[in-house]
Amino acid sequence: MKRLYEWIDGRFNISPLIAEGQRSINFALPSTYTRQNKSKIFWLTYPYYYVGSIVAFLAILQGITGLLLAFNYVPSAVGDPGTPTEAYLSVENIMKFVPLGALIRGIHQWGANLLVAALAIHAFWAFFRSPYRVGRELSWLLGAVSLGLALAYSFSGYLLPWDQLGYWAATISVQIMRSIPVVGDLIAQLLLGGTTLSPVTLVRMYYYHVSLLPVVAIILVGAHILLVLLQGVSEPEEVWKPRKAGQRQAGPLFGLFLPQQIIPVLILSLVTLGIVLLLGAFAVQVPGDPANKFLTPQFIAPEWYFLWAYGLLKWVGWLYEVVHFVPPATVFGIDLLSAKVVGILIAAAMFLVLVLMPVIDRGDEVRALRRPLKTAVGVWAIGLLSTLTLYALNEILSSYLSIPIGSMNLALGSIVVIVPVVVAAPFFVILRRHAVKGSTKEA
Amino acid sequence: MTEKAAGKPKSRRRIDRRQFVQTLVSLGIAGTVLSFLSLLMSLLPSAGAGGEEGEVDNVFKYGPEKGAWYSDRSGTDVKLEDFDQVGKGAGVLWRGKYSAIVIRVDESKLRGATATSGLVAFAAFCTHLCCISTWHLDRPNEDVLFCRCHDGAFDPYNIIKDTMLNGTEYLGAQVIAGPPPRAAPIIPIEIQDGKVAGVAKDLGLYDYCG
Repeated sequence: MKRLYEWIDGRFNISPLIAEGQRSINFALPSTYTRQNKSKIFWLTYPYYYVGSIVAFLAILQGITGLLLAFNYVPSAVGDPGTPTEAYLSVENIMKFVPLGALIRGIHQWGANLLVAALAIHAFWAFFRSPYRVGRELSWLLGAVSLGLALAYSFSGYLLPWDQLGYWAATISVQIMRSIPVVGDLIAQLLLGGTTLSPVTLVRMYYYHVSLLPVVAIILVGAHILLVLLQGVSEPEEVWKPRKAGQRQAGPLFGLFLPQQIIPVLILSLVTLGIVLLLGAFAVQVPGDPANKFLTPQFIAPEWYFLWAYGLLKWVGWLYEVVHFVPPATVFGIDLLSAKVVGILIAAAMFLVLVLMPVIDRGDEVRALRRPLKTAVGVWAIGLLSTLTLYALNEILSSYLSIPIGSMNLALGSIVVIVPVVVAAPFFVILRRHAVKGSTKEA
Repeated sequence: MTEKAAGKPKSRRRIDRRQFVQTLVSLGIAGTVLSFLSLLMSLLPSAGAGGEEGEVDNVFKYGPEKGAWYSDRSGTDVKLEDFDQVGKGAGVLWRGKYSAIVIRVDESKLRGATATSGLVAFAAFCTHLCCISTWHLDRPNEDVLFCRCHDGAFDPYNIIKDTMLNGTEYLGAQVIAGPPPRAAPIIPIEIQDGKVAGVAKDLGLYDYCG
């Protein structure tokens, strides 16, 4: 083993890199399991630091299962509307006849769901902890773009079985893309090969899903993780103090990578694997009816993590109706004020704010409890996303609870307006009092 | 030449031969890369081998909606005699390409247009995000073209003049609920041997969704 390493080192001269890597990696994640503090529950102390490693683990799992699925999938959607296409049949084949096919597809499906969930926790936690100060803006930017990549992955993957749900979720998304002012149609044509879904679209989606996105993701996520290794994570709030760019602290919080840091990573990965295996084995979703462009299925909904956007579009339409606002057909030659364009612009603005956080928020303070406004805005955003998700389910809730759709919309629509504010306001009031007290104490 | 240049004051910026070549090579590489961007044009949809459209049947065919009264007739010609009472309507296919809705209306209540033998037809795409609207399937008690995707509703009794994004004026069913930005275009119909046929001249209107 040693001779092999020496042989490679003699040719690639990797030992300086390895040495630097070993030095850096010990700052990767905080761990209280150190000589100074021998707490045995170290990985419960800073659990959120390890959410990123769950995302990384799931991403690898997605790569492996995706590779296996690709051997049996046929990306062809040629055929009459409503009849099974080759793509549909090949997914059915994977589910029924390919040895362990259903399990692999189940893992891939649930892995994607859990990955997005873990990513959302990772992102929100980062939002509250403001780790994007000078020197780490790039990590934040790469992370935000990777979040977009994950959604692009799921969007392209959802369409591949070419069933009703995937087809109509994609149709709506394509039409949303088309209504981006001015350049919408061009973008749709470049990305999808047309302004409606066709067999060409499926092939392109497949190409993005298995070829283009993996390459981009490996580069961006690789850079994201490399930056964490080179710079270390931003320190937990307890040891936080303002400091200059690039400086890091070799404090008691960081144990050695091996074994103090890697053990919680391994434990969490195994637990995640267990959950994914269980869900994949027992709760795999089979494809619905084959795609039919002449028939929209009754309860149509995108994947759960797109529901808020779906709800947003519905909600803006409802709001217009309530205030009796009829948008003009065109403003500057585009339907700028129509509910869908307004919905798109709101969603785009939210993502832009996320990406630009390092520019918007440049103060010194990182502690969430000392940032009343920002923390309250974060809580409000979580409330808004949750209530919009609820609003997206108005039809289903209405028929399930047998409440007329009008009153259901009124109830849910008001919840969207009121609840996030009601939840966020106390945070603001209490934290501001707390912050004022804290600063007088420090002074 | 060089002597003359050397005689000039030092403050004037001079470009030596190395810099000149460097600039030229950089520009050349940048130009090549930029010109390769034009290859992205290949991503645009091509005309394809679709070929000339032959004679297309204008007669509506019953659509594939499940649980509707016409479900067992899916794909067959739409007949006038099937619409025996006011309020009866059906999701239909038109020219093998478009979804439409045919409704028997109470002619005394219809405003803004006239019915043909009591029938009117609309393009079934929702002008919001192009889902297919339905008649009496999701909202059995409301006389609206209803879109399942974002709860859009169009009133078939209120025909108004509306404008497409490209400026084309047309007649359509007014939006009465939800996010659709414009009316659902009407399809002029004709009764041919008891069958219902759509006879629009300008099909561009119905290509709204793609």
